[in-house]
Amino acid sequence: MSSSGTIGDADLHALVDGELDAERRRKVEDHLLSHPNDAALVEGWRRQNAALRAAFEPVALEMLPLSLKDAATRTSGPQQAPIETGAIHWGRPGASRPTLRLDEIRASRRRQAALTTIVTLLAGAAVAGLAALVVAGRNDAPRAPVTAAPAQSYAGRAGLAYATYVSDARPVEVDISRRGELVAWLDERVGFSRPPDLAALGLRLIGGRVTPGLAAPAGLLIYERADGPRVALYFERAEASVAPLAPRAGRDVTAIEWRAGGFAFVLVGRLPQEDMQAAAERAATAVAAAEGEKR
Amino acid sequence: MANCRSLTYHSIGNATNGAVKKNGPRMGKKAEILEGLNDEAPALRRYSRALCAGAGHALSDELVQSALQSVGARIRAKELRPADLLEARIEAYAALTAMAAKRLINTQRPAPRHPPVVHGLAELSFEDRAALLLVSLEGLGYAAAARIVGAPRETLLARLMRARASLGAVGLPPADIETGARRAASHLRIVK
Repeated sequence: MSSSGTIGDADLHALVDGELDAERRRKVEDHLLSHPNDAALVEGWRRQNAALRAAFEPVALEMLPLSLKDAATRTSGPQQAPIETGAIHWGRPGASRPTLRLDEIRASRRRQAALTTIVTLLAGAAVAGLAALVVAGRNDAPRAPVTAAPAQSYAGRAGLAYATYVSDARPVEVDISRRGELVAWLDERVGFSRPPDLAALGLRLIGGRVTPGLAAPAGLLIYERADGPRVALYFERAEASVAPLAPRAGRDVTAIEWRAGGFAFVLVGRLPQEDMQAAAERAATAVAAAEGEKR
Repeated sequence: MANCRSLTYHSIGNATNGAVKKNGPRMGKKAEILEGLNDEAPALRRYSRALCAGAGHALSDELVQSALQSVGARIRAKELRPADLLEARIEAYAALTAMAAKRLINTQRPAPRHPPVVHGLAELSFEDRAALLLVSLEGLGYAAAARIVGAPRETLLARLMRARASLGAVGLPPADIETGARRAASHLRIVK
């Protein structure tokens, strides 16, 4: 740090980093008023900081992978192979444990067991629910969504996601009010994060979530019309080998699929066919425009 | 310390509170510090991801795990006696930085989908990148950051200045209004 008379680069950095005491800070701030070049430097560094935080803060807000839960208090040493990120351990990760911490180990086992049980039950429920839908679909059930679509196509996946989330009390994981977070999240997990604007058709984006896809995590954006009905836009990074499919309609759910920029998009909803077609065309145009601008 | 940010991390169950209470009378401060270190995982993960500059999430998570485990083990073995959580945090950041320096010798380029600031980060030398991230992203003071990278304060400052100079205006919305508007529109489009 320089003497109190002159203001050097170090002082400017220290100002940005909050390393100055109050008196010195006032001096440097006064200096900036009369030196626009230095003020521009300081402003630039502050924007760098903001850009860095915007790029990486979402990482700190993500759910921790299992491998990082309680990593400091776990007894397995660094010589043990690290547990695969996100993997669920059914067996015994480490054989030798001091008996001292047995109670803690038991507690963590119990937590893991509870977690895996819940995951298993949910998976079972999902399979059973799907089977029930397929079976019930033939009959005159009042609501028989996406019966014919097995989950082995993008439209099938989209239909399943639509049936699961759209009528839910909490349809989206991240609300549109946290748009930056939503966009960063979808970009991170799915790789596509430019929600098409369907406002001209009265469809307002209410938020989105990550949902299981065919081969990779998929994104689901949910739009709502003022009078209630919701439409979901599903997208997943597409495998190049699969040929684009024709528009496909369920009994009362319309799913329209298209490809753009290496992604498969499916728009699902209960609106009339022509409204769905218009919305899909608009979304496809918006997506193509976003892709074009990116290049 | 400008920001020991409060992190929104919801662990499953109530392990943290339970363990502290259980060990309270017997292990006291050490257990508290270890539990506190666990809660640092999200911040360390953010730092590690940035330090790896977008190359390989698996590697960056692995670095966090190794760092936390080795510091945790050293504290339990009484090789390290941190006076408080801040000291332990510094040790964890230092361990992570040292491991990353070894593992990131031939760094991969970040994928094109990453924002420009990540590409700018990848262009920096490892030392400059670490100095910048510790101060800018993690909000650590110069003294703490210097201890983490194991260099005198002046060296840290020099690296920080170099990093900021060479990162320049990469990834920032340019001052020119017209291109600025176009750039912003290309990845953030207002719906509604």
